Amino acid sequence: MTAPSNPTLRLQYRQLYQNSLRYSLLGTCLTHRPALWNQVRKSHTAITADPVPLRKQLKDEARRKKAEKKASPKSSKTLDPRLSRWELTVGLEIHAELNTACKLFSPAATSLNAEPNSHVALFDAAFPGTQPQFQKATLIPALRAALAFGCEVQRKSSWDRKHYFYQDQPNGYQITQYYEPFARGGTLTLTQLDGIETSDCPEVTVGIKQIQLEQDTAKTILQPPSTYLLDFNRVGTPLIEIITLPQIHSPTTASACVRKIQSLLRAVDACVVGMEMGGLRCDVNVSVRERGTTAEGLSEYAGVKGLGTRTEIKNLSSFKAVENAILAERDRQIAVLESGGEIEGETRGWTIGQTETVRLRGKEGEVDYRYMPDPDLGPLIIGQDLVDHLKDTLPMLPDETAERVVNEYGISAKDARTLISLDDGDRLEYTEAVVETVMQRLASLPEKQSFDKVGKVVADWVLHELGGLLTTAGVPWETQTVTPERLADIIVHLQTNQITGNTAKKLLAHYASLQPVAEAAIPSVSKIIDTSGLRLVPLTEGEYIEMAQKVMAENPDMVKAVREKGQKGKIMWFVGQMMRRGEEGRVEAEKARSYVERLLEV
Amino acid sequence: MSSESNGPLFGKLIAIKDNISTGPSTPSLATTAASNTLRKHASPFAATVVRLLTENGALIAGKTNCDEFGMGSHSLNSAYGPVKNAYVRGGHALSAGGSSGGSAVAVATRQCWAALGTDTGGSVRLPAAYCGIVGFKPSYGLLSRWGVLDYANSMDTVGILSRDVPDARTLFRILNRFDEEDPTSLPPSVRARLSSADAGEKPDESARNARALRIGVPTDYCLEELSSPVHRAWIRTLNRLQDQGHQLVPVNLPSTKQALSAYYVLAPAEASSNLAKYDGVRYGSRLQDPPSHQEAEADKSGKSVLFSRYRGEGFGDEVKRRILLGAFALSAAAMDNYFIQAQKIRRLVQDDFDRVFASPNPLHTASSSSSSPKPSSAQKPAHEASPPQSTRSKVDLLITPTAPTLPPTIDDVRQQDPLATYTNDAFTVPASLAGLPSISVPVQTAGRPRSGAAADGDGGWGDVGCAGVQVIGQFGDDDIVLRMGEIVEGLR
Repeated sequence: MTAPSNPTLRLQYRQLYQNSLRYSLLGTCLTHRPALWNQVRKSHTAITADPVPLRKQLKDEARRKKAEKKASPKSSKTLDPRLSRWELTVGLEIHAELNTACKLFSPAATSLNAEPNSHVALFDAAFPGTQPQFQKATLIPALRAALAFGCEVQRKSSWDRKHYFYQDQPNGYQITQYYEPFARGGTLTLTQLDGIETSDCPEVTVGIKQIQLEQDTAKTILQPPSTYLLDFNRVGTPLIEIITLPQIHSPTTASACVRKIQSLLRAVDACVVGMEMGGLRCDVNVSVRERGTTAEGLSEYAGVKGLGTRTEIKNLSSFKAVENAILAERDRQIAVLESGGEIEGETRGWTIGQTETVRLRGKEGEVDYRYMPDPDLGPLIIGQDLVDHLKDTLPMLPDETAERVVNEYGISAKDARTLISLDDGDRLEYTEAVVETVMQRLASLPEKQSFDKVGKVVADWVLHELGGLLTTAGVPWETQTVTPERLADIIVHLQTNQITGNTAKKLLAHYASLQPVAEAAIPSVSKIIDTSGLRLVPLTEGEYIEMAQKVMAENPDMVKAVREKGQKGKIMWFVGQMMRRGEEGRVEAEKARSYVERLLEV
Repeated sequence: MSSESNGPLFGKLIAIKDNISTGPSTPSLATTAASNTLRKHASPFAATVVRLLTENGALIAGKTNCDEFGMGSHSLNSAYGPVKNAYVRGGHALSAGGSSGGSAVAVATRQCWAALGTDTGGSVRLPAAYCGIVGFKPSYGLLSRWGVLDYANSMDTVGILSRDVPDARTLFRILNRFDEEDPTSLPPSVRARLSSADAGEKPDESARNARALRIGVPTDYCLEELSSPVHRAWIRTLNRLQDQGHQLVPVNLPSTKQALSAYYVLAPAEASSNLAKYDGVRYGSRLQDPPSHQEAEADKSGKSVLFSRYRGEGFGDEVKRRILLGAFALSAAAMDNYFIQAQKIRRLVQDDFDRVFASPNPLHTASSSSSSPKPSSAQKPAHEASPPQSTRSKVDLLITPTAPTLPPTIDDVRQQDPLATYTNDAFTVPASLAGLPSISVPVQTAGRPRSGAAADGDGGWGDVGCAGVQVIGQFGDDDIVLRMGEIVEGLR
């Protein structure tokens, strides 16, 4: 193949057809770099760059929010008196890149950071005489997304061309599903844990109008002053567009909704590149209406009546931008209406750091996309068997997983969510591996052990102890070197009173600081305990009695209270004192209590 | 694949219409669709049909002139200048027909053994009729469109221009292959249902081949524009066929009258979409002139007119006219009144044909299995039961004139209103809308020899001595159409 005649684009066309792509039903022809702790872990995520972990992003945002709250009193949280008169209504349109090996209509590979113009099939570059070839495998993640929102998958959908001229769109049109989308009618429920506005608590349900499949455009890179470089790698990458009903009434909830959509898409492996990497983009429709007015004379959208005239804010690329743009647009619309003006149905833009949205084009300047059914593409027929199979094999959704983890491990709902959201589920998988090992080890011991708290203990160690160590050291999760077996080993020693909690923490810190070396070269937990003399020696009977007597001698009033007034509850106070005085971990509460009771003669 | 040296087309010269990609293996052949927008465009890949030709030993003779992107009925709308018919009337060159006029002239003047053209609304059949040769448009979806530059892709069909029907059949058999590169290529599962799949091997097919055929004569085709020499040639052909024992049956195709209007809404609509890619960013050379003051201002305001200027200068008038027509037909305000209405007419035209043909339309009777893509979004699988029609009135084929008149002179065409030239397609468009196989075969007018071989005494060419007669068959009945074409050809 030769490059096209225009050299300024520096396109390189390769024999993409030589890449024999194999599509299995589950789309597992994808690559993934597993964490160091388990290089053979099976996975089905296609990420090639390290995104900022969601948790970190959430934390950063929370921190920013706090700072902003302090700086400006006009936050979404503070009560604006005007809001008792005006109600905000928001609908979202979210574009998400599907996790697929190839493009929607060509066998060229999808890519994130590949060399520019290295994954471009003839059709992607709109070569004259080329036609689209629908890649069936792209349906798998699309269907998973639809199922995650409880949408009804349409047996028949179709493809339409949406026309507009722009250099990032080689065909002059985008292939989308305007007239007949492949999925309709889902819902998304948001709770307090999802970070919705307090007034929306305990939960709010947002309807999903439809989900459609469509093509992404090329990437334009501006080289000032007037050169545009085009990277066609992204052209034709499959996107889904998720359109919600206008059922959101707060900027915070809108942003929480986008966040939750991202986490759901990630959980079902439909979209793995987050908003921070441009894998997810959002348009919002914003309107306000006076509370208590009737639907008469107001707008309607997809069956939702009584709406004010809406404006659309395009291309928001962060959760923060979604929230702030809606906030600014809400306030602008209220100000216009309160001064007797009218809202114009128009498209507006938002730049991070600004306080106002900017008008891009009004209704008269609206682009007529001249939608036309694509004559090259027949209808898309999706068999119920495929839908059923994907439904049966759909990974547990985050809310369900959180519920399971709370029930099984007895940890808080908040910790459960954190565990699930971290490292694409890797942290949860790790935790479960540790729990399993600890349980097995405890079960094999001669003495009967209590199991009920193991899950919580392990989760605490993974999240807080190990997590804290890694954060302090600035080590990303993928490169941490403590295997689940090692952590389990430490926890078993702790649970069976062979070491103190302090010792356990020191051991973990030691293992976490090791450079990755061959497993055999690392000394075992029990070896370190023995060679360093860390093993906990239980108190003898004499030591218990001596300690109890000492505490009693120092607190004659307490002794009196128990002996003479019969305040038996005070016994535990003595136990507590002994626990505090004894060397960490050596005083066992049950034993201490029996000695105190004996000495107090109760 | 046969090796090139003993392929069935070994050594045969075949010309290729310039909107079919010839690729790098046939060096220095550009693929420009006779447009300035693609003046230097050399396609990096060959169309599947071209590859099949060369794999079977053919030699690509060259690229032939045509109407820009196939838009025209006289091959005058070309960036390279007009195509001239070899035939002359009173010293004036005749129209070669369009849009595959160059291919037709190349065959008629024996510069090649045969040629490929494309037929969207008659662009192979009409020039064949004007140049006195055979032009065959197979059923939509049989010949691959991979590498064929789109005009109106729900109708674009690769067609064959040849000196006689057997040659057309030879080429058709070679090119009739499923191609997975073309999403509208009929898959093997559908091909297996077509009557032409194993022609001559199915007992009922050979029976149909042997017996006398029922020939439908559409009374709706007696337009007032139909000129008397063409009318006479058509009637004489029908009479001779009847003499041979075939049966003539008058049929009604009432939607024919709206077909042309529907075509000139749908084809431009698709064209406006398909030609959107020629925006000056990737193809052709960008304009060399510095931007005008107005453009510079527009650039500053962020409303760059790079695309409009490039497209304004790159496309010819007819292409621009059709893009504007199509863009209008698809605009939100006009969509319902034009595009949607035209699609409905297209459907009625298909229903008309299905009602008169004895064999069912294999696309419409297909079980609605998910694996059988339809050749176009417009050809819907659900087919309402047509009003009951006695089998006696059903036909195997239709025979019509190809064009309403003998070729006009190029001067006459230039005097015509652009819309008036569209009526040339009145007889060819219905089969295009329905995707049906049809062939134009030359028949003598007024007893003159049809071939250009019989030239004037001074070595020049006189007036064309023949008119085109068109045979139309049910979808997939390509072999029967070819057979009838051969019968018509044999009438002397």
